[in-house]
Amino acid sequence: MAGINCVVVTPEETALEQEVDSIVVPLFDGSKGIQHNHAPMIGRLGAGELKLSAAGSVQRFFLEGGFVQVLDNTVTVLTGQAVEAETLNVDEIQSQLDELNSKGPAVGDEQELRAQQVSSLRVQRRLARQNS
Amino acid sequence: MANARALDKRRKSVRNIKKITRTMELIATARFKKAMDRAMASTEYTRRITQVVTDLANSGTEVKHPLLEGRDSTENAALVVLSANRGLCGGYNGNVVRTGQQRLDELKDTYANVKLVVSGKRGLANFKFRGIEVHEGYLHFEDKPAFDEVEPIANEFLADFISGKLDRLDVAYTKFISSAKQQAVVETLLPLGSLDDDDSEDTGGANNDYEFMPSAESILEEVVPASFRVKLFKCFLDAAVSEQIARMVAMKNATENAEDMIKNLSMTYNRARQAQITNEIMEIIGGVEALNN
Repeated sequence: MAGINCVVVTPEETALEQEVDSIVVPLFDGSKGIQHNHAPMIGRLGAGELKLSAAGSVQRFFLEGGFVQVLDNTVTVLTGQAVEAETLNVDEIQSQLDELNSKGPAVGDEQELRAQQVSSLRVQRRLARQNS
Repeated sequence: MANARALDKRRKSVRNIKKITRTMELIATARFKKAMDRAMASTEYTRRITQVVTDLANSGTEVKHPLLEGRDSTENAALVVLSANRGLCGGYNGNVVRTGQQRLDELKDTYANVKLVVSGKRGLANFKFRGIEVHEGYLHFEDKPAFDEVEPIANEFLADFISGKLDRLDVAYTKFISSAKQQAVVETLLPLGSLDDDDSEDTGGANNDYEFMPSAESILEEVVPASFRVKLFKCFLDAAVSEQIARMVAMKNATENAEDMIKNLSMTYNRARQAQITNEIMEIIGGVEALNN
């Protein structure tokens, strides 16, 4: 099967550049799979899992926001931070989540921020649980 | 003639100083290389973001965003000055503070409230010395500014700008032009003006029919703040690289000066020593002569 070139770029570095068979990107409203010869696309990313499959092996990353650009069988993922899912720790994330939840209700501007943090942590927790 | 022993002592202390400056030079060189690599790695992101913007523009989307438009209001402005935490880097801190202060005075003429944010111990001390109030100071930026650290600052400015609490943001930092030239500059980051970077190249005009998810407008809404964040981050990176270069050059000069000084001192020392010996011989000869008579 013909592959696609996947590039993950963060402001600090080019985190990854690799030939893969298929990619699943976390768009703002759900996951989207990309394979060879996908039509050109620019999409907005949400918090979620980036999944790269190449020759049977799967690499997973946690992304939070950013963009994806698909052009000529090259997928460019622009994101603030790409964390390898294997480095996520369930207990650590759980304690962060508990801490947020125990803070009491957020008011005004904070509400939206809090909701975002909680959902991002939940996604991270889900990814971390898949590790074991 | 100066005392030979005092000269020798001085020569020793200069030698010790030379050792220190030489080591500092080597450290600065190593750090500069690392900082440089980081700065280079970050250009990729800027390039891609610019490309997305170009693609958006090519697709017929009107590039319009509140962050791009100037404001008539002259209420609030902010100035960020990026200096170093340490000295011993030549004119680096002085230049950036001086440039920053010039802009600060200009801003104070037009804007009612000017908020001054300074990063780096040296800059903070300098403004304190000049009797200028600093509203916020950061000390945690060393030679490796991380995006995680810059992002909250950028987000704060973004929130203030959007909610109308900020009308203009300037950043004074030392721009890295080449490894032989760095310049203290002031740049206006908010409003962003145009998204096209100075180094953006034409992608050849291959008009690709992109599918936008969810829509071009929504992506633009996200691209512009991202572009601002990365621009601010780039300023921090540039400042870090320039600091290391400045320190490298300053320490190289100091080492060379120490070498010259050691040479001069050695010469004076040898002369003084010789004069002392001659003196002693004369005294002995004089004594012998006196005894013979």
